[in-house]
Amino acid sequence: MREVAVVGVGMHPWGKFADRSVTDLCRFAVGAALDDAGLAWRDIEAVSAASSRFSGGKGWGLNGNDVVEDMGSTGIPVYNLSAGCAAGGNAFNIGYALVAGGMYDVVLVVGGEKMPKGFIQTSGVEEETDPEYLRQLCVGMPGPSFWALLCRQRMAALGTTEQQLAKVAVKAHQVGMHNENARFRKEFTLEDVLGSNMVSDPLRLFEICPVSDGAAAAIICSADKARQLTTNPVWIAGSAVATARFDDGLPRGLAGMVPPGPTMHSEAKMAVGKALEQAGVGPEDLDLTELQDNTVYYELAFPEEWGLCKPGEAETLLEKGETLPTGKMPINPSGGFLCFGEATTAMGVFQVCELTWQLRGEAGARQVPDASVALAQTLGLGGNATALVLKR
Amino acid sequence: MDERIPVVEGLFEEDAGRARLLGSRCRACGTPYFPATERCRHPDCGDSQIEDAAFGPLGTLWSYSVQNYPPPAPARYDLPYVPYALAVVDLAEGPRVVGRLTGDTTSLRVGAPVELVLAPLCHSDDGGDLITWMFRLR
Repeated sequence: MREVAVVGVGMHPWGKFADRSVTDLCRFAVGAALDDAGLAWRDIEAVSAASSRFSGGKGWGLNGNDVVEDMGSTGIPVYNLSAGCAAGGNAFNIGYALVAGGMYDVVLVVGGEKMPKGFIQTSGVEEETDPEYLRQLCVGMPGPSFWALLCRQRMAALGTTEQQLAKVAVKAHQVGMHNENARFRKEFTLEDVLGSNMVSDPLRLFEICPVSDGAAAAIICSADKARQLTTNPVWIAGSAVATARFDDGLPRGLAGMVPPGPTMHSEAKMAVGKALEQAGVGPEDLDLTELQDNTVYYELAFPEEWGLCKPGEAETLLEKGETLPTGKMPINPSGGFLCFGEATTAMGVFQVCELTWQLRGEAGARQVPDASVALAQTLGLGGNATALVLKR
Repeated sequence: MDERIPVVEGLFEEDAGRARLLGSRCRACGTPYFPATERCRHPDCGDSQIEDAAFGPLGTLWSYSVQNYPPPAPARYDLPYVPYALAVVDLAEGPRVVGRLTGDTTSLRVGAPVELVLAPLCHSDDGGDLITWMFRLR
């Protein structure tokens, strides 16, 4: 495998843009990434794109083809990757593999999304053989209530309080307000969060990410090419994809097995474990982590599940300020999904942008001091997860 | 009309007043499945021996939450919308199952003993009751 570097990143700000198409958002992000890399569109040898079922892609998830047609049809190969909310991370992994394997020297990874209003509907399939369809028809359990069930379980097992849940959201906005690309740039008090509407008990409105529009792009290339372009490349030390294990205890579909141990989000744990192993680093080496915080629960649960801290320790670290950019275990210095909202398939590439800015020392008021190793993770419908480790 | 119509056919039944979920179990490795499966999917089981199995009514509450806002389609509910409680239940010698909670939901706690029941989800278009499986504290 060849060494691969990130040499350019770009992002369209997150928000709701009624008068802009997903192609408009992607054009902005790709243009910014090309400028950042000092490359022209003609230099891109292949595109690895996240497939969306919500916007663009000619209704078939051909979102990479939309980008190529819009930027200029140079005849380059396009790979459209589908993995639910993990699609951006998946596209990055395939782009990485294509360069590492020597097929191409310069690849564009891109994800863009215009989300419909309201909470995400998990399934568009209306067949009685589809477990997601049956789950919604027979029970009625959309995403937030699923997260609420996991959160309530944690509260019972570890004593997490409603105040502690709210503190995760307060901390997210404390850092996210400094991010010019974030959709919600406002500081929240504990009272603001606890006073927001209960969406799915015990989770409140400000503790759950809404859906957003946004686009992000990253240009990755071989080491030789990277050294021609910049003296400050960011290296891809690990990139992994995993799917859920059979003995996972997460209540997916209508039913699963009662697991022998506390096995949850096995796909995320495996992806993170593989990425760290490839990078040859341990949790103690990480300077920051961008994780998929669809809700405050994940910012407490994931670091423990991956061994970044001990079970039950996440609340203490949060309350001591250790998850802030200046703390011992910085989590989501970008502000995360809570401050951006989820532009589903763009999120994996959004994370690549934040990691790159942090490792270059370009993150301004939310900068993690002297960051040199960073982890990012996504989780998607279907038991998909991705993780990557970037190094300076 | 007092007709009770299953929201989906073949997923549950009431046998002598006892609610049961209809699934299957692998005789070789013991893994329970709901809904039924044709083949054992346990990656460590090389010897799929699937037979019909029914699960419930006794179980333990693994977790619970409340659906505070009207869920998107294809979920069904009567108007005006009334929030309902949701559960994940570990059925005795069965799978971990999702479902709604019915009856008293003011004293829920993780680990509470629950039982499976068949109860109305909402009215059907012709005035009958659409029935699904739910759980209630016992």
